[in-house]
Amino acid sequence: MGVVVKKVDLGWLDRTYVWPVMKGMSITFQHFIRNLFTSTAKRYTIQYPEMKKEIPAGYRGLHELKRFEDGAIKCVACFMCQEACPARCISIEAEEFSDLNITQGFEEKRPARFSIDMLRCIYCGMCEEACPKDAIWLRNDYEVAAYDRLSMKFGKWDLMNTYAEADGKDRISQDTTPTVPRRTIVM
Amino acid sequence: MDKLASLLHMTPAIFWMVVKVVIVFSAVMLLASVWTWVERRGSAMIQDRIGPNRAAIFGKIRIIGLAQLLADGIKFFFKEDLVPEEANKGLFWLAPFLAFVPALIGFAVIPFGKDFTSGGVTYHLSVLDPGNGMGLLYPLAIGGMAVYGVLLAAWSSNNKWSILGGMRASAAMVSYEIGMSLAVVSIFMTTGGYDPAEVIKAQGHLPWAWNIVHQPFGFIVFFTCMFAETNRLPFDFAEGESEIVAGFNTEYGSMKFSLLALAEYSHLMTASALVATLYFGGWQVPFVQNPAVMLSVASFLLKMLFFAWVFVWIRWTLPRFRYDQLMHLGWKVMLPLSMANLVFHAWRMSQGH
Repeated sequence: MGVVVKKVDLGWLDRTYVWPVMKGMSITFQHFIRNLFTSTAKRYTIQYPEMKKEIPAGYRGLHELKRFEDGAIKCVACFMCQEACPARCISIEAEEFSDLNITQGFEEKRPARFSIDMLRCIYCGMCEEACPKDAIWLRNDYEVAAYDRLSMKFGKWDLMNTYAEADGKDRISQDTTPTVPRRTIVM
Repeated sequence: MDKLASLLHMTPAIFWMVVKVVIVFSAVMLLASVWTWVERRGSAMIQDRIGPNRAAIFGKIRIIGLAQLLADGIKFFFKEDLVPEEANKGLFWLAPFLAFVPALIGFAVIPFGKDFTSGGVTYHLSVLDPGNGMGLLYPLAIGGMAVYGVLLAAWSSNNKWSILGGMRASAAMVSYEIGMSLAVVSIFMTTGGYDPAEVIKAQGHLPWAWNIVHQPFGFIVFFTCMFAETNRLPFDFAEGESEIVAGFNTEYGSMKFSLLALAEYSHLMTASALVATLYFGGWQVPFVQNPAVMLSVASFLLKMLFFAWVFVWIRWTLPRFRYDQLMHLGWKVMLPLSMANLVFHAWRMSQGH
């Protein structure tokens, strides 16, 4: 299929080349003047360390392991996220943690270790999708960097505290024993 | 001044010469290096960007990106000076100087201010006094020399991209230089001399008596050719990034590269000084019959910097020309136009104007 290219019929003024050049120069000069009187903070460029982009809702950034009000981890070590992870960056070790059981409205399992290798993670959000307990969220922090490989391996406590400051919560480094039943069991 | 000269064991004439040389060349080099900053910030503003603003002295004083100059200088100074193994080493070292020196010394004949008399001696504000017998033929000849720097840099680095760039630069020079020279010749003709002081005197202080009004076509031809001469963007065939890597300076790094870059900007300064002298009355201040010396210097600087800015401005407005388009422009447009300009002014002069 042939495409008919419409040729622009230039007037004699445009064919001199000097006039179009001057038109172009006026456009660039307008931009120059406009930017000359705009402070750098108000231009299009987001100057990164000082200014940050607004993160849209649903952005998949650094993970957080969610916790209940009393500080107990929501994760029940079901291994769904580990199975779902296409990059195989999650590794979980489960443990049984109390005498309380499911009939009393408590979980019986929790992760003893939960680690994500941030260097392998592709931030696809599959773990978040797979989680039956809404225990792992990918949130808005995108500044994941470190000086060595080992510190890019986030452990359980790193992951539970990733957004502690942002949310105004305490940093925790110890499993608390749950006091309130998580659900009421209808017998 | 005589006292200072005798303290330095120099005759006053030589002392004055040394002062002029130091002032002119250091000013041109300083302006050239500042113009790299102007180019980067100006282009950023034209394109709605911000440009270099991160470099800071002691990590604090940013002075709107001017510290970038220092940072670049220091970086270039400490970089490894690589010379390709197969390069012609002597010429490889020589080429940046051959590019830099002609760009700078073209400025020598251009008067940058009104001459003044002090103690019965007339001081001329140009490195070479008027009546030196070379006049404006000298910057034209030196401008022709400048392509040797590019060509030698290209040839000595023994790289196919470089040699392509150098070949293009020299071929382009042939195609625009004739038109440019003819445009200047018609100025020489109407002035009746080729000394820059005479050219400026003949133009007078009234803006409508300047050569730009009398010879607009000559101006267009000359100014366009200056872009080609300085190897700048619409006509930067010597270093087309999209086609031949970086052209003639592909193999250059460290101080040699910065010298080549500085050569380009010094050339820009010389070219804009030439445009100001030839077509805009040099140091003449509009509507001021007999300007003070400092005023005339300021006027010249203003005109020169304006044209230097136009060089930057046009660079970020126009896309590059194709190689054959410059050939077309040089041979089929510029040459006939400047020829017609010359003939027209010859005819006018024969009619007694």
